[in-house]
Amino acid sequence: MNLLISIMVGVLFGASVFLMLGRELKGVCMGVFLLGHGANLAILGASGSPIGKLAPVLEHGVDLARYTDPLPQALILTAIVIGFAVQAFLLTLLVITWRRTQTLDLNKLALETEH
Amino acid sequence: MTPHQIIFFIIIPMAGGICTILAHRQRKLQRFLGIGFLLANIVTAAAGLCAVAPTGSILVSQMGNWPAPFGISLVLDTLSALMLMMSSIVCLAVFLYCVFQFDDDQQGGFFHPLFHLLILGVQWSFLTGDFFNLFVAFEIMLMASYAMFCVGTTTLQMKHAYKYVLLNLVGSILFVTCAGLLYGQLGTLNMADITRIAMSGQLPDSSVPVIAMLVLVFGGKTAIFPLWFWLPDTYHTLPGAIGGLFAGLLTKVGAYVMIRVFVMIFGSAESITSIVSPLLLGSAAVTMFLGVLGAVSMHSVRRILSIHIISQVGYMLMGIGLAIAAGIAFDSRVMAVAGAIFFIMHNMVVKCCLFLCGGLMHEHAGSDNLQAIGGLLKRAPWLAVLFMIAAMSLAGLPPLSGFFGKWVLLVAGLQSEHYVIVIIAVITSLFTLLSMLKIWSYGFWSPPQGDHVEHPTVRPRTFGGMAGITLLVVMALSMGFGAQHYYQLCETAAKSVVDPTAYVQAVLGEQHTPIKQLSLVETSLEP
Repeated sequence: MNLLISIMVGVLFGASVFLMLGRELKGVCMGVFLLGHGANLAILGASGSPIGKLAPVLEHGVDLARYTDPLPQALILTAIVIGFAVQAFLLTLLVITWRRTQTLDLNKLALETEH
Repeated sequence: MTPHQIIFFIIIPMAGGICTILAHRQRKLQRFLGIGFLLANIVTAAAGLCAVAPTGSILVSQMGNWPAPFGISLVLDTLSALMLMMSSIVCLAVFLYCVFQFDDDQQGGFFHPLFHLLILGVQWSFLTGDFFNLFVAFEIMLMASYAMFCVGTTTLQMKHAYKYVLLNLVGSILFVTCAGLLYGQLGTLNMADITRIAMSGQLPDSSVPVIAMLVLVFGGKTAIFPLWFWLPDTYHTLPGAIGGLFAGLLTKVGAYVMIRVFVMIFGSAESITSIVSPLLLGSAAVTMFLGVLGAVSMHSVRRILSIHIISQVGYMLMGIGLAIAAGIAFDSRVMAVAGAIFFIMHNMVVKCCLFLCGGLMHEHAGSDNLQAIGGLLKRAPWLAVLFMIAAMSLAGLPPLSGFFGKWVLLVAGLQSEHYVIVIIAVITSLFTLLSMLKIWSYGFWSPPQGDHVEHPTVRPRTFGGMAGITLLVVMALSMGFGAQHYYQLCETAAKSVVDPTAYVQAVLGEQHTPIKQLSLVETSLEP
């Protein structure tokens, strides 16, 4: 399980770096979104393997070590909500940029005159 | 102030944000509300400072009354209280400037709620005692700043906003990854609990790379070499006042967090300081020197000031780096941290003040390109005087505030025998003077030049701007002439940071159960 998650995190981070190095703003933004997902997965991986463990609904008389750790999931949930807000903002910025300049190519945007 | 009243630092700006959203059609009401909330903020900060500073005591509030490593702790120690005091004053000054100088267009578009929410994020990051909560506070602060970047956007401003937004996003994501990995390794995110682990020498070797990654995260936010490239390219597109707010608060929050994390939490772990300290010191030297060279080469007031932020960050880093350098005596460590704290406080006030001055220069002359303006000494003599005080304070001429900040840092550097960085710091100081004199001589002293800029014929209304600048200059002067008192406060703060035993005890309580030995009986669900 942990090995699988590690590989997936690696792939996500790699893909997002590749996207972010491009010259197209859409791609760059998608890269940032992917990076966020990679981070969430990394936190999930850090909480250890959930195989063979109980859902964290406490009952008396059950050893605590048998439950999965609920905290990383709470952290991820928070991170997802924040990431969602940031994505909405970034996409809005993209739309406005497109309306203003009719281009999302970084090379062309860089040539926009300063006024 | 009782411990539970710490929450007012968060409630007040949050209420400010909500009220101004509700009143977003009534501009006048928004302004009154804003001033009211900011004054309340200053009063709270003063009460907090009076409660903790004289004795160096620590107030802790556990949210929802959950015991320490499980719930979220808000901690008010002297360091936080000092930062809150300064930031609330800076906010009021910037707000006065914005309310009176900005036209309705610039104040529209939910400018006021964003302003309050930015303060919420800043104050929250000063108070929180929990790593993940710090990330949330950072995000609130950054979201507000992203949106403020786009208030009244020109295409240029938007183009530069991408660099800021994307860079900070990547930083935040790395931060949350680090937090998650740290939790996986240590089983806790509470700063006091991590400090306890680090102090008892139980920090696993595997957490060293994670913490080294934190240098990258906070370094990016604070704009240190080689992660500073986004800053000079973005801040100059902002209107003067908002630039001042960002310059006064955002990078300083980064510096504050660096003190908290690298000096307080991990300062006692040899395996980490041996890596981080040379990194920070080397970066500090390059940051301060390159930053000031950049400032000297620029020709617009806002550009000079924004690239200058970087140079000043170098001094703060120098203090932090010295504090955790190997084989340095306890007294010198305290001195280095106290110097860094003093410098952060001084820089918040002075840098913001200079940005506001730059904004008013723009209003008076119709441009802030130094090759096109001039003769402001005659047009705005008081502005010239106030600018001169702030500029000389930044350059560090005695008896102004910058001198004492640099003096303490230099002495700490000499005591710990880091001569190279001391020499670079002194040279940087000279160049700072040069760049400030450049603004002075081109902008104020020399006769008006260049006919390609229309000088406004009507005298602009500058009452609010001058009020804000005067407030900050008075603060800067008090820090210069009352440096001894301020330094004592900084020393109290530095002591509790360098030796965090009291912090750990205040947050975790006397008898602390490590998480792994906890049984179900002890976590009774009724608090």
